[in-house]
Amino acid sequence: MKKAIPYLRRTIQALSFFFLLYLIIKTAFPLELKIPVDLYLRLDPFIGIITILTKKAVILRMLPAVGVLLVVFIFGNFFCGWFCPMGSIIDFFDRILFRERKRSKASNDQSLRRLRYGIFIFSLVAGVMAFQVMYVLDPISLITRTLVIAFYPPAIFVFNTLVPQVQSFLPKNPFIMSTIPMPVFKVNLLIFVFFIAILALGTVRKRFWCRYLCPLGTLFSIISRFRVLKRFVTEDCTHCLKCVKECPVGAIPEASPEQYRRQDCLSCFKCLECPPEAVSFHFGLPRWKTVDGVDLSRRYVLGSLGLGVVSALMIKSNPLQSESGLKNNRLIRPPGSLPEEKFVSVCTGCGECLKVCPNNALQSTLLEAGLSGLYTPRLVPRIGYCEEFCNFCGRICPTEAIRPISIEEKRLLQMGIAHINKTRCIAWDTEKICLVCNEQCSYHAIVGDDKKRPIVKEEKCTGCGICEHKCPVDGEAAIVVYASGVQKKLKPEDVNNNKNEVPASPAKKEKSS
Amino acid sequence: MDSSDKKITRRQFIKGATVAAALPLLANKLPFYGSLAHAAEESDLVIAKNGSASQLLQAAMAPLGGMGRFVKKGQRVVIKANVAWARTPDQACTNNPDLMSALIKMCYDTGAKRVAVWDHTCDNYQFCFSRSGLKETAQKAGADIFSGHGRNSYKQVEVQKGKKLRTVEILRDVLESDVFINFPIPKQHFATELTLGMKNLIGITWDMEQLHKIGLHQCIADVNTVRKPDLVVMDAIRILTTNGPKGPGKTEDIGEVIASADIVAADAYAASFFKHPKTGRPFRPEEIQFVKNAYELGLGEINLSKVRVKRVTAA
Repeated sequence: MKKAIPYLRRTIQALSFFFLLYLIIKTAFPLELKIPVDLYLRLDPFIGIITILTKKAVILRMLPAVGVLLVVFIFGNFFCGWFCPMGSIIDFFDRILFRERKRSKASNDQSLRRLRYGIFIFSLVAGVMAFQVMYVLDPISLITRTLVIAFYPPAIFVFNTLVPQVQSFLPKNPFIMSTIPMPVFKVNLLIFVFFIAILALGTVRKRFWCRYLCPLGTLFSIISRFRVLKRFVTEDCTHCLKCVKECPVGAIPEASPEQYRRQDCLSCFKCLECPPEAVSFHFGLPRWKTVDGVDLSRRYVLGSLGLGVVSALMIKSNPLQSESGLKNNRLIRPPGSLPEEKFVSVCTGCGECLKVCPNNALQSTLLEAGLSGLYTPRLVPRIGYCEEFCNFCGRICPTEAIRPISIEEKRLLQMGIAHINKTRCIAWDTEKICLVCNEQCSYHAIVGDDKKRPIVKEEKCTGCGICEHKCPVDGEAAIVVYASGVQKKLKPEDVNNNKNEVPASPAKKEKSS
Repeated sequence: MDSSDKKITRRQFIKGATVAAALPLLANKLPFYGSLAHAAEESDLVIAKNGSASQLLQAAMAPLGGMGRFVKKGQRVVIKANVAWARTPDQACTNNPDLMSALIKMCYDTGAKRVAVWDHTCDNYQFCFSRSGLKETAQKAGADIFSGHGRNSYKQVEVQKGKKLRTVEILRDVLESDVFINFPIPKQHFATELTLGMKNLIGITWDMEQLHKIGLHQCIADVNTVRKPDLVVMDAIRILTTNGPKGPGKTEDIGEVIASADIVAADAYAASFFKHPKTGRPFRPEEIQFVKNAYELGLGEINLSKVRVKRVTAA
């Protein structure tokens, strides 16, 4: 039984990772999966707590996270050791890449160990100030974002390159393989480098990220101090220090292996491989006192607190965030997004909406929305446009930064307004007939004048960007969508409703036969 | 000597064998080889009215010589349908599902090996396929349905007969098909007045929007020279008369199916469904620039009085 545990853990870790991968792949067109595709994000209590602080409202979608906290209370931060997909990846690369490396001894890492508590306090304070950029470090959001932005497009690229090769081997006549439209993201390299850096930290210490940085792990640590399942060591212990070496988070102090730091233990049960079999786990009463806790001096706590307050204020007073002329009017938010200020503080930048968008229209921002808007979604019509009958991004947003709205509501929501650049427009600038924008517009917001030149009807335009996307002018389009500030509702009678103009009698349909 | 009369000399044998081998090759070049095999052909343009979708199609195809004139046993058929927009079938922006189903079944009944339905959709292909109901229809009828969203489905070809268009990327499957059926739905179109059979073939090219830049009307005619459809089946059961081509707009139930091998003639006839916005009279074929351009390129006959037109009633 004891021997099976490491294998069992590795299997569960792999399954957990591949399940996340499966959910991400399924975050696509029909969106008919019974399980919520953003399940992992909903189970993340760190996101839950911070969003409650920033949004000042409880999000029902995030309720499963409370369940996770309850389980952590019993088993300690088992999540990190058994289920966290980020942890699985770190463990995996640790095994295959850094196995033989000699790491520096983890003897005195007091100062490092309190780093993540600092980060956690910083996040909480900044969250109260409604500024949030620490999502960047949340492991679930991070791994989802990395997989979607950095790894999904190359995978599709490889697939699409292989398709014609495979096709040439197959019988020519009836068999055609379709390629998958490849999404592109500007920030992919940055996110990739960040991810690799986290893995590379494993050369310094095993699970460096989990021990010293991860804010979700910190939250679990605070709770798992009261854990019910505890490690006990009998007097058979020979001080062979095998458990000290094996422990992936260095929770067992070298000087006294019969003790352990309850809050750091991942419940991976590696220490059960004890030669004299002195280690066992039992249930016990919850206690606050622990051995060798983190020395969170008053100075350190106040320092983190102050840093959080000051940086939140700095970000807020940055011209990119305030009502200055620098405000980016090309920053079109997905349909149903909260007002900009709230949006940047609630969005976790997990990248689910980027993945689900059928036209690759949603792109991750870098600094276009200011620092607090890092990795938030924006509509870039030149890359893709907002599909008329799609409301997927609102349906999968775990924190409801993009509200779940019905298709009818979405079709009446103005994200931006198109403007024609008459010096570039083919129809205005030359004698040619173009009117691609008129033909493509789903809302009849672009009409042609008597010389067949396009004119935008602002009261109908939703800013979906299909005109900008399809505009045949090279480079920058001749029709460009600018954000309308706050997303507002259009009057239904202005937009050509589907039902209005269909003749009253559906008349002789061919089904009579 | 007697015996040598009956025997075939080597020279005679070689002559005979050559002729026998060359006959089928020549026969392919003969203009009416198809009609020789199916003598029933009596018209160039058939208009079928009154009846269910499958009845209309049957009725329209019979005077042309039946589907057997076009589709031979074991051939690969490619249908260029209109699935360009994410609209429901009753909005008449995409093909009638019943008619498509009947067309695919008819191809299979005449012995087609495989039928593929293609379109390079304007809206996202997944939404087009599901909202128009045509993916389900095609797959139920046993055909494959593909969207030209991937550039590797295309092949660059030179447009030798083209006046403005020099090269264009055309769906490889269309170029390699044995039988190519154009399956358009006539609609009003603001830029080109109407979108008819020839405009439908813009959907076999990769860079559709670029054609507007070069000169849309001439490009439509030029694209049609690359791979002339063997058969045009025009779905005029319900047509869109305003807000075309994407709609939704006013629709009109015409209840006709037009079949022809001559795409210009079919377009010339279908133009009369629509009223000219200025004069209020039905469109004359010459008023649609691309139809005129195609006629000038020799793609077909624009003057319906020179075409054998037959009107049939389906039921």
